[in-house]
Amino acid sequence: MINRGPRQLLAEVQQPGLCIGCGSCVELCPYFRSHGGKTVMLHDCDLPEGRCHAWCPKTELDLEGLAQELWGAPYSAQGMGPHLAVVAAKAGPRLEAGRYQAGGTVSALVCAALEQGLVQGAILTGGRGMDTAPALATTPEEVMACSGSKFTAAPTLAALNRAQAQGCGPVLVVATPCQATALAQRWAKPWPSRGAAGPAELVIGLFCNWSLDPQGLTGFLAQRVELESIRSMDIPPPPAGVLRVETTEGSLEIPFDEIRDLIPPACAMCPDMTSEWADLSVGMYEGRPGWNTLVVRNEKARALTEAAVEAGWLVVEEFPKANKEHLVHAAQGKRSRGLGAALAQSLLGVSGEDQPKALRVSPELYRAVESGEVA
Amino acid sequence: MDGQRLTMMGNQAITQGALEAGVRVAAGYPGTPSSEIIQNLAGAADEHGLYVEWSINEKVSLEVAAAASFAGLRSLCAMKQNGVNVASDFLLHLAGSGIRAGMVLVHCDDPGALSSVNEGESRHFARMLELPQLEPSDFQEAKDMTKWAFELSEEIGNVVMLRSVTRLSHASGGVVPGPIPQAQGKAHFDHHGTLLDKGHGPVSSSPVAYKHRLQQEKLARAVELFEDSPFNSYTGPEAPELLVITSSICNLYVKEALVLLDATDRVGVLKLGTTWPLPPKLLQRNLERCGQVLVVEEVIPFLEENVKIAAAEMAGEIGAKRFFGKRDGTIPAQGELNPDIVLGALAGILNLPYQTRPPQYDLLAQEAAPQATQDRDLAFCPGCPHRASFWSLKGALALDARDGFICGDIGCYSLAMRPTGYGMLKTLLAMGSGAGIASGFGQLGRFGMDQPVMAVSGDSTFYHAVIPALINAVHQKSPMSLVVLDNSGTAMTGFQPHPGTEANALGQPVPPVDIEAICRSLGAEVTVCDPFDLEATQAAALALLADQSTAKVLILRQLCALSPQRKGSKLYEVQVDPEKCLGDQCGCNRLCTRVFGCPGLAWEKQSGKARIDEVICAGCGVCASVCPQGAIIKSERA
Repeated sequence: MINRGPRQLLAEVQQPGLCIGCGSCVELCPYFRSHGGKTVMLHDCDLPEGRCHAWCPKTELDLEGLAQELWGAPYSAQGMGPHLAVVAAKAGPRLEAGRYQAGGTVSALVCAALEQGLVQGAILTGGRGMDTAPALATTPEEVMACSGSKFTAAPTLAALNRAQAQGCGPVLVVATPCQATALAQRWAKPWPSRGAAGPAELVIGLFCNWSLDPQGLTGFLAQRVELESIRSMDIPPPPAGVLRVETTEGSLEIPFDEIRDLIPPACAMCPDMTSEWADLSVGMYEGRPGWNTLVVRNEKARALTEAAVEAGWLVVEEFPKANKEHLVHAAQGKRSRGLGAALAQSLLGVSGEDQPKALRVSPELYRAVESGEVA
Repeated sequence: MDGQRLTMMGNQAITQGALEAGVRVAAGYPGTPSSEIIQNLAGAADEHGLYVEWSINEKVSLEVAAAASFAGLRSLCAMKQNGVNVASDFLLHLAGSGIRAGMVLVHCDDPGALSSVNEGESRHFARMLELPQLEPSDFQEAKDMTKWAFELSEEIGNVVMLRSVTRLSHASGGVVPGPIPQAQGKAHFDHHGTLLDKGHGPVSSSPVAYKHRLQQEKLARAVELFEDSPFNSYTGPEAPELLVITSSICNLYVKEALVLLDATDRVGVLKLGTTWPLPPKLLQRNLERCGQVLVVEEVIPFLEENVKIAAAEMAGEIGAKRFFGKRDGTIPAQGELNPDIVLGALAGILNLPYQTRPPQYDLLAQEAAPQATQDRDLAFCPGCPHRASFWSLKGALALDARDGFICGDIGCYSLAMRPTGYGMLKTLLAMGSGAGIASGFGQLGRFGMDQPVMAVSGDSTFYHAVIPALINAVHQKSPMSLVVLDNSGTAMTGFQPHPGTEANALGQPVPPVDIEAICRSLGAEVTVCDPFDLEATQAAALALLADQSTAKVLILRQLCALSPQRKGSKLYEVQVDPEKCLGDQCGCNRLCTRVFGCPGLAWEKQSGKARIDEVICAGCGVCASVCPQGAIIKSERA
């Protein structure tokens, strides 16, 4: 297994602009910190190996190796990742209405997991408007305080590192695909000799096509609205093609074309739309407001989903076949675009090679990407 | 004490000369190698009835001294080489107006920049501003010449410049002191005469044409006196093979070199004490002795050029000469001289075998040094608040992540250009120029510059030259941040008081002028923080960087670890808990010793863990906040 140190992390991830600011390397040691959406190295560190590099989702991500280890199956061109079921879901009667975005499925699952005692806390991304911050929630009230979509990646995993260092016990993480990937790296490359930081007990992944650079978005919005007045942000279902910003003064719709430049280059290389490394994944349900798409990936996830329905946190319905086909198609598109972009930048490799790479796949998949078969 | 030969430091000899001349008022601004002159005079103030002050800067100190002269009291002003630049605007006008009671400006150059960030030459001011220049060449002369400088000043009615250098000011030698007169005479400024009445009228350099002519006549009178001055002397054979012309401490190097070469019968030495304007008759007499001339001096070829001009003017009488010196490379153009360098130059001209330092010496020394000595750069003292300050500023600039930087200034904290201050200073020029440059950088956003800019300043530097720059930044709406590293004294030069301290140079209580209140009164936003609180300091610095709307000030206030107020006491007992320190297993990669780098911390090879060296540790307790394991324990002292 390839592992290198912080200087290589800077060279391979920070300097080429591939850092997404997930927080995985933050606060594991005194060197990496996160501020204003950026992960920075405060002082030079010359250690030859480190968790910072090992657990980064943007370098030496051996997708084939991870899939074999965590799924017991090869990593394929199929974009959804393994799953037992895809259902329509929304928050049940026990969740206070009106406090959540879309269907409230994430909040409902977190509340259920806490109530079940499956985890003792949940690492969520809280804050309002532009001011996002990861938080540890241990009660439904704290969970609800964090609800609502954010469109910039937050250093959520820094909060996990902090909580684990303080001996938080088993926690779940609500993660973007990149964060879920970072957590998968932790399963594959455990490092118990350096303290308590490690994988999460449960990962609820979010669908994500791209995010927006926090400093870029802040600068962009600052020219249009008072930043303090922003209440929330949302992307309405297609074909709207806008980012809607709700402020105390009213709402503002920004066409995607205007913010495309704010999408970090790391998002273009991402092959994962549905948080395939999570236990459950939650996303938008196109064409059915107030509902989510819920992907149940393993037995632990199935048990939680059933318990959540049983306890009145969650309501599920069948997910229409046509919608699932559409979802698979979209995920496949993201997969092929991401692997293609990595290949184009010479950042795609095959498992077992020495040359540093961001992503590694099996030789078969590599050839398929190279020949354009995946696209 | 009279008549007894004593060992005195050069600056002490200058002080003694001033006291023997009956100096009544002295002022200056601290700067190595000049600081002990005002310090010593302050020490003598009570006994001899002087007024002595550390002024806010060199220009004001010269103005303070000039006022005494105008009121009929002999006065002295002392500063380092670049201090003359600061004072020079006033000096230009003072030279034009002339003075009344004797007034001497002692300026101490620092060849080789041992304690400076420049190798400035201040003798040029004498020529440029048309004032007489004296240069003592040993310790007795430093005393005698200072005393005589007052007489000369009164004789010609103008300021006299007296130049020392580090190796004279800070070395010691034999001096026979003379009697110190009783202070007498009431201060009174006579201003009722006409503008043309230099003894009784208003003091001004105007009417300029008239006063300028007067000034040049004064200089001509000085030259007459210089022709017969005992401070100029020739030693050697009547007709030597080579004439060495030298001044200042270089005279001692030449003497030593000639003895070592056994060449005193071949080489004559014209030692000049009055180096501007050069006395032409004296010069002609000596240049006629031989056809070859070597000029030995430090910094700029001031003497060499002036001798050459004089030689050209008298070429009809003395013929053409072959000159050696800095201009032809016989004497190095930069750095300090020493007897060895002069030996090499003389041996070359005289064709004598002499091996100066062998060429491979430097190489061998470089190889041997790491075995014999610690590999150690200049460093902040243990417990220095600047280390803590730059640690936090570094963190804030890194977190801000916009490639921001700090404009440095002059003081101990100038060391932050080096590893001890994490290389944080990216400009380092003159006193006060950090804030001024930052004020300029702040305006470049309109040209696409998106890096935030900070400036640092010490407390003494703040008063000296930062205030105008800060006013400029506030008024011009320059989004810069000034960080005042307030360690409550002029630490680098030896804790001289400044306008922020509660006692003056004489130890008398004076009202401190509050930096915070000054900044607020200018309309700058001000935050005050204890730099030992790393978290709060970093947060405050980050807040400054985040708000780029206006000029802001952060005052980081903490006593210098060596400050007399601290009296060597430790704030905390600091220890490493060997159970908690995980050593190389920690993953911190020796943050405390490798990165934070306080000399009070050591990495113990045997145990593979950090250790506090309690002899060196100053007990600031900052490293306890640096250790990620909480393994460094600070406890309040009982």
